[in-house]
Amino acid sequence: MRQVWGIAVYEVMHILKDRTLMLMVFLVPFLYAALFGAVYASGVLTGIPLGVVDLDHSALSREVVDTFGNAQHFQVVPAVATYQELERAMATGVVRAGVIIPVNFEQQVSEHRLSQVELVYDSSNLIWGYNIRRYALTVINQFYQTHAAANLIGLGFTGKEINDILDTVSLNTEIWYNPALNYCNFLFPGLILLILHQIGLLSIGLTVTREKERHCWLHYLGSAIPRWKIVAGKCLPYFLVNFCNYALLLWLASSFLNVDIGGSLPLIILLGALYDVIITSAGFAISVRSSDSLVVTRVLMLLSIPIFFSSGFTWPLAYMQPLLADLVRLMPYPWMAEAFRLVSQKGAGAGVIAVNLLVLGIMACLSLFFALNFSKRLNSWRVRPQDFYCNDHARRVSETGGVSC
Amino acid sequence: MSLQQMTLLRREVLTIWRDRSLRYILLFGALIAVLLFLAIYSAQVIKAIPTAIVDLDHSNTSLELTSYIRNTENLQVIAYPQSFEDLEDLIRQGGVVTGIVIPENYGRDIALGRQTRLLAIIDGSNMIYATNASSAILTIARTIAAEAGIKTLVGHGVQYSDAQAAYQTIDFQEEPWYNPALNYAYFLVLALALNIWQQCCILSACMTVAGETGRASWLQIRAAGFSRLRLFACKAVVQVVAFVLVALPVYLLAGMVFSIPMRCGFLALLLFTALFAVSLQSVGTLMSSLARNAVDASRFGMIIALPSFVLSGYTWPLEAMPRWLQLLARVFPQTWFFQGLNYLTFKNPGWDFMSRYFLALLAIACVCYSVAAVAISHNSYRVRRAGS
Amino acid sequence: MEPVISVVNLVQHRGKKPVLGGVSFEVAAGERFGVFGAGGAGKTTLLHSVAGIEQIRSGTVIVLGCDVRRSEAFKKDTGLVTEERSLFLDLNAAENLDFFSILKNAPGESAGRLCQRLELGAYLGIRADELDGGVFQRLSLACALLGGPRLLILDDPIRDIDLESRQILINELNRYSSAGGACIWSFSDIGCRRLVDRVGWLANGAMNIYLPDQAIQEWERWRQQVETGGGVGRS
Repeated sequence: MRQVWGIAVYEVMHILKDRTLMLMVFLVPFLYAALFGAVYASGVLTGIPLGVVDLDHSALSREVVDTFGNAQHFQVVPAVATYQELERAMATGVVRAGVIIPVNFEQQVSEHRLSQVELVYDSSNLIWGYNIRRYALTVINQFYQTHAAANLIGLGFTGKEINDILDTVSLNTEIWYNPALNYCNFLFPGLILLILHQIGLLSIGLTVTREKERHCWLHYLGSAIPRWKIVAGKCLPYFLVNFCNYALLLWLASSFLNVDIGGSLPLIILLGALYDVIITSAGFAISVRSSDSLVVTRVLMLLSIPIFFSSGFTWPLAYMQPLLADLVRLMPYPWMAEAFRLVSQKGAGAGVIAVNLLVLGIMACLSLFFALNFSKRLNSWRVRPQDFYCNDHARRVSETGGVSC
Repeated sequence: MSLQQMTLLRREVLTIWRDRSLRYILLFGALIAVLLFLAIYSAQVIKAIPTAIVDLDHSNTSLELTSYIRNTENLQVIAYPQSFEDLEDLIRQGGVVTGIVIPENYGRDIALGRQTRLLAIIDGSNMIYATNASSAILTIARTIAAEAGIKTLVGHGVQYSDAQAAYQTIDFQEEPWYNPALNYAYFLVLALALNIWQQCCILSACMTVAGETGRASWLQIRAAGFSRLRLFACKAVVQVVAFVLVALPVYLLAGMVFSIPMRCGFLALLLFTALFAVSLQSVGTLMSSLARNAVDASRFGMIIALPSFVLSGYTWPLEAMPRWLQLLARVFPQTWFFQGLNYLTFKNPGWDFMSRYFLALLAIACVCYSVAAVAISHNSYRVRRAGS
Repeated sequence: MEPVISVVNLVQHRGKKPVLGGVSFEVAAGERFGVFGAGGAGKTTLLHSVAGIEQIRSGTVIVLGCDVRRSEAFKKDTGLVTEERSLFLDLNAAENLDFFSILKNAPGESAGRLCQRLELGAYLGIRADELDGGVFQRLSLACALLGGPRLLILDDPIRDIDLESRQILINELNRYSSAGGACIWSFSDIGCRRLVDRVGWLANGAMNIYLPDQAIQEWERWRQQVETGGGVGRS
């Protein structure tokens, strides 16, 4: 254990001495989390700028306008009054939705003729599009109720009778797990897991390549120290820091952003530990098989967006190409994100996430296997010239085709 | 152009080409990305939201309602749990997104004109599903309420036409503009692919200074008294051209092969992309001029590139972010580009409106290049000893 | 007595380029075996193969009774000084010694004695990347000697260092040899032949073994041949 502990201690020392690495490991996760938290702080769209083109200017049209104007999600923009102005305002983002009330609207309604009110909305950005549609439907339903009630008064019904008629069949809606349909609750936990994934891989992904570039890796190879001790010593600091980051970020999200993170604490800890083992050992396995830090940095950097968007966390896996969905399931992030959502938002127990736990467990074993089974012999038959970003050593490598001799 | 400059340009082309990982990233990164995201969003719209119906009544009326819900455009009924508890489990496990519970005596209450309550449950944990499902349920709610109300009024002796008029004289017609089918592929694929492209560009640009000064050959350049600014300017030109060239297949694939709409002219889009490429190159050069080595430069570039897409307004509207964050986001060229891309490709609002986006990218490039030039002029960039 | 190193028909390539084309030699206990050759001759490749840190294409290398392809056990009795600066540059000298003693599972007190003999006391608090070449090599040798290895593998340890450090290193190596330690030592300056018992001259993938005096004669012959433009017998 002395050797494992010694390697771990010196790895920590190196992290603290490398300013960029120290920032990445300790500070960047919180910076990202704070940034994303600020982005999604409101979580719900309110005050959506709405343009109203009232071509009727009647009492009924004003009722329509007032219904939208009084809705919390909309804010009427007075500068828009004509259709051309609405078009321009939508094209330039001044408004994101519009209501167009036709000429003779009230007259047609009073004559029991069907009159159409147009609701237009900006669907160039579907966050606007789908949410405006949902809010607008709520407002429209509300208007229908009010308008129907007014008509029933005209038909001679009393207030109680009107309520009874309007509520003959009502459809109550309950939204579970994220009642306010808050984007912060939806996205933030997934973003935290992605941050941990990327920063974790990027930090430990350089642990061996750094030694290789400085030629120190030769001494690990040249010593009798068993592989498992090298892996354990190198990975231990990153495992601990990543797990602490996991816990802290979740606590911050819950405490300061009111993200719903509930469910079974032991399961959340177990999921975090499994995820951490996978990331740490996969990062080590990548590092020990990579030739240099630059390649590792480049490849890992490009992974984050594809991983997030292909994971099924936002866009359902069932709607992706089947082959892609199967490939995606080979990665730990989708399983972890799904399990975390099931546990933290839905209060699922171990039974529900049993498959996820099993898969993550298998992945942890596999990544540990690849981390532990590296060769303590350099394969110089396949050495390639490394003449970019290089120091003197790499320059000589490129000239001689290998380690200088 | 002098022979020296031509030589430098040619050298930079060779440098990029011989850096194998960078070559593959630039050549294939964005292409693989566009294909990947097309595969992800191949279904394009969320229809057929998995739905369950719990019919506790089993009457003809409830069967009619079940039939109506089955024929609703956005809902796909896939399960008929026997109890509320079964429905709860199904939603918790993610088997269905929406559940509708028809209470006991539903048919009898309708026939007797008594009030009755249906319950719709939506799994709010995935907002893509939930917003769609919510809209679908709202539409169903209105229709059900109207039909029941009309029936009740007729039961009260009101003429059918009067009853209908009470509920259905006004029709709200939805009309999504710019993306009428609410197509996710149109919304996201091009933007996500270009996000990967911009990360590839940043990775390349981060090598501009640090990649050169990290080599022993830097000693020769310093000893030759060659102008550093001219050297890095030549490198920048080659990189910008390369960035634009590798973006072209992305646009061709997205626009011509997969018919993702682009309302603006191709030249305008190309010019906008070229300006963005310049600003990306300037940001990368700045990172590179301040970093100790190429790995650090790439890490700085990554630290900026990663959150830039979230800040760009594509995952959450820029206008919905806190004011201070909107200002911060506007420091990044990615924000201007992706906002501008959305306007150009969907709305094409004209030069009066778009000019600010072009100018912002130009301004960012000027600032970054200026700061980088100062850093390059003042930094000695001493070659570190081998192994350090 | 069993040789400390036994190399039979060792073949190594570097990429597609053949470097060693069937090298064979033995090193006995207490012997100092020199490996001489110009740049690119294969000295480092050979030493790394003996150290068990490079995959072997073909041939047999037995070190301290262990086949280096199959066993790691011999590594606890070997020490390595590389040609490139390969200590932990972000650590100071004392930390390097401490870390190497951990890697080699060596008792901590051995570092103190080595520091004294190699005169490193004044440099213990200085970062390795700030040490001069000679002090750096002394530190490298100290790290290699931790744990009392039976075999030292030295890749051009005294090249381009100051005279004082060179002498300290030579004294320590003499002491090490007198105590029965074997060493395989590569150099590219023929003047170092006097420091070893035999010289294995690597050229064109093959090794010819000479006594030190024979080696200098061969060197003179070759030098004259090159200077008179009579073709290159050795590279």
